[in-house]
Amino acid sequence: MILGDLLDAHVVTHDGEELGRVVDLRLSLEVLEEGDGSGGGPDEAEPGGPDEREHGSGDADDQGDDGDTPLVAQTHRSHAVGSADVVGLLVSPHTGGSFLGFERRGVRSPWVVAALVRWRHRGTFLVAWHDVERISPGLVHLVPGFEKLDPTLDEGEDA
Amino acid sequence: MKKLLGVALGILTAIGGFVDIGDLVTNAVVGARFGFSLVWVVAVGVIGICLFAEMSGRVAAVSGRATFEIIRERLGPRAGGANLVASFAINLLTLTAEIGGIALALHLASSVEPRLWMPVAALAVWLVLWRVKFSIMENVVGLMGLLLIGFAVALFLLGPDWSQVAREITQPAVPEGEHPAAYWYYAVALFGAAMTPYEVFFFSSGAVEEKWTAKSLGQNRLNVFTGFPLGGLLSVAIAGCAAVVLLPHGIEVSTLSQIVLPVAQAGGTLLLAVVIVGIVAATFGAALETALSSGYTLAQYLGWSWGKFRRPAQAARFHVTMMIALLLAVAILMTSVDPVAVTEFSVVFSAVALPLTYIPILVVANDPDYMGARVNGRVANTLGSVYLGIVLVAALAAIPLMIATGAGS
Amino acid sequence: MTRRIIDARLHLLSRQVLDVDGEPVTTVEDLELRGADGGDVVAGEPAHVAAILSGPVLVTRILGGRPPQSRWERIAWSAVSHLGTVVELDVEASTLDVDWPERWLREHVVRRIPGGQHDPEGES
Repeated sequence: MILGDLLDAHVVTHDGEELGRVVDLRLSLEVLEEGDGSGGGPDEAEPGGPDEREHGSGDADDQGDDGDTPLVAQTHRSHAVGSADVVGLLVSPHTGGSFLGFERRGVRSPWVVAALVRWRHRGTFLVAWHDVERISPGLVHLVPGFEKLDPTLDEGEDA
Repeated sequence: MKKLLGVALGILTAIGGFVDIGDLVTNAVVGARFGFSLVWVVAVGVIGICLFAEMSGRVAAVSGRATFEIIRERLGPRAGGANLVASFAINLLTLTAEIGGIALALHLASSVEPRLWMPVAALAVWLVLWRVKFSIMENVVGLMGLLLIGFAVALFLLGPDWSQVAREITQPAVPEGEHPAAYWYYAVALFGAAMTPYEVFFFSSGAVEEKWTAKSLGQNRLNVFTGFPLGGLLSVAIAGCAAVVLLPHGIEVSTLSQIVLPVAQAGGTLLLAVVIVGIVAATFGAALETALSSGYTLAQYLGWSWGKFRRPAQAARFHVTMMIALLLAVAILMTSVDPVAVTEFSVVFSAVALPLTYIPILVVANDPDYMGARVNGRVANTLGSVYLGIVLVAALAAIPLMIATGAGS
Repeated sequence: MTRRIIDARLHLLSRQVLDVDGEPVTTVEDLELRGADGGDVVAGEPAHVAAILSGPVLVTRILGGRPPQSRWERIAWSAVSHLGTVVELDVEASTLDVDWPERWLREHVVRRIPGGQHDPEGES
């Protein structure tokens, strides 16, 4: 199966009641420890880890240089990753369009665009993958008694 | 001198946006028909492009991602693809006009038939794309394009009644005998020219070419706030010359020689020569900017390797794209179309490309994954949202106005 | 071991893929999903991302439908080393099948034009 088979598919209950469309697939990504044990995600306390790879050149690794080290550390979140496992589906009742990143808790600017996107996706919920009963082309059936979960994306270990 | 060269990217970007051959003609037409009454639109456009070019440069510096990469990433293949088609069309039409424009300018200087100059001009553009280092290209072409300052010099030598000029600028009104629809058509055209999307494609990709990092944010601001206001100034100076010399005589601008007529009248042969060199350089610069943008947009949409900092063999598809774009431009010119009329169709494509370019820039400039602490501040977001509204209105109004006025005629 | 929760469309689709040297390879056009044992996905049973797809699958993502499995151009998920604003691989682009159009144009067109190997950042 490919992700394209799922995106925009209609989601229905066990009894065939229409719930909306799949707008995204939520994954759980394994974050690996890197050589010096800095795999847990860079933050201010940990400048210039091996994660700060910038466009294939070492130019960004200029910590200590005119005091912009925290800036560099904050701006490039890159994780050594292992497996990516399916967690669930984001189902939007009104549109099959993209969330543009505004499903993340901390992302609310610019408010005009954020408000518009969130309004278009009002009523969106997350459904756990184990609540998916059957997948046929263009259609996702959920098990009886499936649970509607909070769709907000907390930014992983940053929370 | 080093400092001056540090802003060459902003200057070249702005020259390609504000005073490419299509805009040279538009500005002169506007001056000859509407005097100084549309200067406010240029000011609005300069603020808008400064705002979004600063964001695109900041995203490129901090995250290393150029603008069409983030357009594709955030809008996905369909909306991103629609933008690609529209933007590529604008690039190609503008490139066509510029190659024709270089030929026209060289014709003005040499009186050799323009059609003979066209393949020569295209070959020269290709050689620069193929061979010349990015920084040398932007410094030489950007600085020579600044010779268009000759228009501003001419305007001062012509010595209009400045209080009258100030009144026209600050209290704009549709001149007698002009239809309001024509006025608004040119308002939208000037705004679209100021905000034309290939400026941010070129500017952000140029930032990657120059290997900007998060340390380059000061350089980013310097480039933006020097380059685009200067571009706007040149644009107003050209319109101003036409307003002072051509408007009172009711001369309608249709040729390049009419555009430079006020310069010859005010500053004689020497100033005329300076301005003609400036026009050739600006047109050549716009040709480089649009040819590179055609390569940047396609390569970034599809994830190819790109950039003049790579050996051509290491960015093969990028270089082949630019060659094909140049060949298409020459082929279009060989059908004897008027190169300047070609750019009028850009308005149609801008209606699609403008919103689909500036929305993702504004969204990603707020994305902490890309920007960390360098996300937009409140002022940038408020202004950005307002300008998104203006862009949408201009995009919606462009096509009806174009049809209603027969492209302003 | 920590885990990070991401959304596939937001964090993976249409992202730039870079090889181990930082050279652009492609964009993520789609993802192949497989079940725990490497077999087909069964609804409700554990599933994971098995590969990044590129090439012809872009066309069907725009126009609808899907290309036959034989035409999928895959990059195994195991080749992914880092995920940030881009997807970084731990292999060289030249070892990947998806890179063939770039290699073909390089060998047959660009290298044959004088100066095609010229380093613009180098001396002179």
